[in-house]
Amino acid sequence: MKSLPRRNAGTLALAVTSALIAMHCSVGDRGASPGGSPAPGIKTTLLPSANSPIVYFRILFRVGSIDDPAGKEGLAALTARMLGEGGTRSLTYSQLLETLYPMAARIDVQADKEMVVISGRCHRDHLDRYYPLLRDVLLDPRLDSQDFERLRDEAENYLVNGLRGNDDENLGKWTLQTALYSGHPYGHVDAGTVQGLKSITLDDVKKFYATRFTREAVDVGLAGGYTRELVSRITHDFAAKLASGKAEHPPLPAPRTPEGIELVVVKKPCIATAISAGFPTRVTRHDDDWYPLLVANSYLGEHRTFNGVLMNELRGKRGLNYGDYSYIENFIQDGDSTFPVPNIPRRQQYFSFWLRPIPHANALFGLKGALYHLDRLVRQGISEADFEQTRSFLITYSRLWAQSLDQRLGYRQDSDFYGTGDYLTEVQKRLPTLTRDQVNEAVRKHLRADNLVVAVVTEDAQGFLKALQGGKPTPIRYDTSGTPAEILAEDKIIEKFPVKLNAERSRIVTSAELFER
Amino acid sequence: MIRTLYPALLAAILVPVPLALLASPPAGGGSRVFDYPIHQQTLPNGLKVVVVPFESPGLVAHWVIVRVGSRNEIEPGHSGFAHFFEHMMFRGTEKIPADRYNSILKEMGADSNAFTSDDLTAYHILAGSDALPRIMEIESDRFMNLRYGKEAFQKEARAVLGEYNKNFSFPESTIEEKLYDAAFRTHTYKHTTIGFLRDIEDMPNQYDYSLTFYDRYYRPEHCILLVVGDVDPEKTFALAAQHYGPWKRGSYEVKIPAEPPQTAEKKVSIAWKNPTLPYLTLGYHSPAFSPRDKDMPALDLITQVAFSETSPLYKKLVIDEQLVDALYGSASDHRDPNLFVIGARVKDEAKIKEVQAAIEATLEDLKKNPVDARRLSDTKSHLKYAFQMRLNTADSVAETLAHILQLTGDPEDYNTLYATYDSLTPEDIQKAAVRYFSPENRTVVLLAAEKGKPKEVGR
Repeated sequence: MKSLPRRNAGTLALAVTSALIAMHCSVGDRGASPGGSPAPGIKTTLLPSANSPIVYFRILFRVGSIDDPAGKEGLAALTARMLGEGGTRSLTYSQLLETLYPMAARIDVQADKEMVVISGRCHRDHLDRYYPLLRDVLLDPRLDSQDFERLRDEAENYLVNGLRGNDDENLGKWTLQTALYSGHPYGHVDAGTVQGLKSITLDDVKKFYATRFTREAVDVGLAGGYTRELVSRITHDFAAKLASGKAEHPPLPAPRTPEGIELVVVKKPCIATAISAGFPTRVTRHDDDWYPLLVANSYLGEHRTFNGVLMNELRGKRGLNYGDYSYIENFIQDGDSTFPVPNIPRRQQYFSFWLRPIPHANALFGLKGALYHLDRLVRQGISEADFEQTRSFLITYSRLWAQSLDQRLGYRQDSDFYGTGDYLTEVQKRLPTLTRDQVNEAVRKHLRADNLVVAVVTEDAQGFLKALQGGKPTPIRYDTSGTPAEILAEDKIIEKFPVKLNAERSRIVTSAELFER
Repeated sequence: MIRTLYPALLAAILVPVPLALLASPPAGGGSRVFDYPIHQQTLPNGLKVVVVPFESPGLVAHWVIVRVGSRNEIEPGHSGFAHFFEHMMFRGTEKIPADRYNSILKEMGADSNAFTSDDLTAYHILAGSDALPRIMEIESDRFMNLRYGKEAFQKEARAVLGEYNKNFSFPESTIEEKLYDAAFRTHTYKHTTIGFLRDIEDMPNQYDYSLTFYDRYYRPEHCILLVVGDVDPEKTFALAAQHYGPWKRGSYEVKIPAEPPQTAEKKVSIAWKNPTLPYLTLGYHSPAFSPRDKDMPALDLITQVAFSETSPLYKKLVIDEQLVDALYGSASDHRDPNLFVIGARVKDEAKIKEVQAAIEATLEDLKKNPVDARRLSDTKSHLKYAFQMRLNTADSVAETLAHILQLTGDPEDYNTLYATYDSLTPEDIQKAAVRYFSPENRTVVLLAAEKGKPKEVGR
């Protein structure tokens, strides 16, 4: 049978109704259990659920692409994949897959800017067979030259053929991020750069593993029907085998603030124009202003819903494209779900909007439409009725963010990263006391429609740039009839929306120039 | 939204999505792979109602499964219409206009969407259990009383074009379109769910046809209401009768043209305008889904035995010789005979023939030699555990059931299917391989970067 779309794992655990208690243990915790004490010095995040026959592992390391040495971009991600997709000292990768197969147990890897997570899951019945495999993957990896070549090749092909050639939406998103964070540790694709990958050696991987995947950097996340004994066993194993090394989280430089509209147009053959735009913000889940911005952003462009202004105005009323959303943090959709994957936290975030491909002839209008509605939000704020409705929506909707035990574990670990306490609980606590004024104040303080980087993937790059430079109206061309008069009247305003292009910082690039070094 | 059956080779390689898992009865424990209680009733108008109580405190998944997809697009020029109609279903009724409908969902804090594939269109809402009466009210209203004007119809047609545009920057979308177009002559599987671009571009002119489509298919006898989660079956049946009971049965019966047997190999070549690794795809005509007949379950096992990450072919092509960076075999379930698709993304154009030879050697081996008994038993174990571990939330249970309901209408058929898997012998696998994997039964599609274009290749 066909594979059904994958959803994330675990038993249902609603943020509020769940009786689960998250526990953090580290040095000094008094959590001795009948099955033995956790080893000191190894951080754990625990979500026990006695009824769950499944055990979930989220082994996090506070290391990521920000730690890639200059000229060796991609090293953190490649090292992570060498662990999760490269076998162990006693089993080749093929043998490892064969051993996991009858159990339908998995080991997966996710490598991001500031965090690597090796996640796993197995049925409780298989725990004794599964755990040693996961342990060896993490503590006794094979780090073999053949796997190194395979995985490095894959990463390079992802950049050269996948991203540059055949995934315009993600090409737009990564073009935006690399432009936003040029010269900053966030400034390259986590998978690396073409030249960075070429220069990485197997010895680099071995050294990076030994020095960065350390006792101090790890957080052992466990959820589901594990035994207390396992906590003791896993932490003692990690304490005994992982190298010791000071967890380094150097302060990040402040990202540059865009001046005017800084346009990066990627010229390539494509059937429609993909657009992503944004700017760095000073707000993360850690900040008080996060919660009012959460409401404002949901109102403007809640991901893959018909709630957002952008979606309703650009797609619903005008039929411009398939979807239009906005974000106040980095967002990676989890499979086919509406919700993001956990464990991609960042100490610095950015605001962005994403316009899914628009027919070339209407792309300029689409960009102006998004800027117009963002500008409107900043100038006029959110109405009391919209505020109430959006807040009420989020209070309920946020209970769906982590429907499974595994997702909840991921959220709990992210809460620790941001220092929020349990984030999902915090959302429930904060939103009811918010006011419309707080939302509008946060919007005025943190959002804007005039200083952004705009990344565009299109065929006629020169034409796109010229049209914006000229400052002339860029009307929408309807090939449909019956557009209401009020929409047509608003179109006239949007087509003239002023775009203050920063000509010096705007440029046309070919996709072949991107992600090279 | 389109749900394609074609596996995406370009899944973000650094962000694998973990398989779902769940507190389910221990896999392998007992003969019923789907072991949650299933309650069923059929209303007098022909609407089947399926209720599955599932431990999900305060949550309910409400799905309406319309057993109509692109398979039903029998008139020329209307490919993609089932999917287009899925979009139109969000355009409101006289009682609840589109804006109000969205507001109601927003007030509920619901996660709501819909998708279409070859054989079904599914509308799903995940929300608090206490919202179930309201959900039934608004959903039954749009199934019975949908009303939209030409203007809304035309704007939505362009949102569908936008969906096509977003999908077709991926080579896989074009490969799928060309493969099915070449492999099928008469059956409606000739076109993909999203449809041909020429038909999508013409959609704004098809307002009258859309009313016909609604009248034909959006009828209770074509639909199944599925409710999973924190609910009481009897109360749910009562609600269903109250809200969906007045829905009038239709009379239209579709006649899908049968596909004649293929007698000679077909080949398609696609020149791609952007840098890409070459994709080699082979589609063999395969049988309709049946949980009882052995052929389709046997082909399911072949996808695992011969093409999964633990197969000798994967070990050879991906891990050891590294000629290929993605490989899959897929026997997708359909109501009518479809295709068994094998795909490989080849790292060097010069090695395409070698890769195809390795795939063909694997198929010949399946025909000539019985599968190792241990391998077969490991495969059956894997399928069973993977299936049960997917049932992790109310919504994933609903999604999983929707798949079997579109095919057979019987939610018990998973248990039938897995019993059939258990009964399969190495000889059954051989018989299926001999029956389907012949060169004259296949279509071969090769997509590679356009010649003469400057192109980059990976190391």
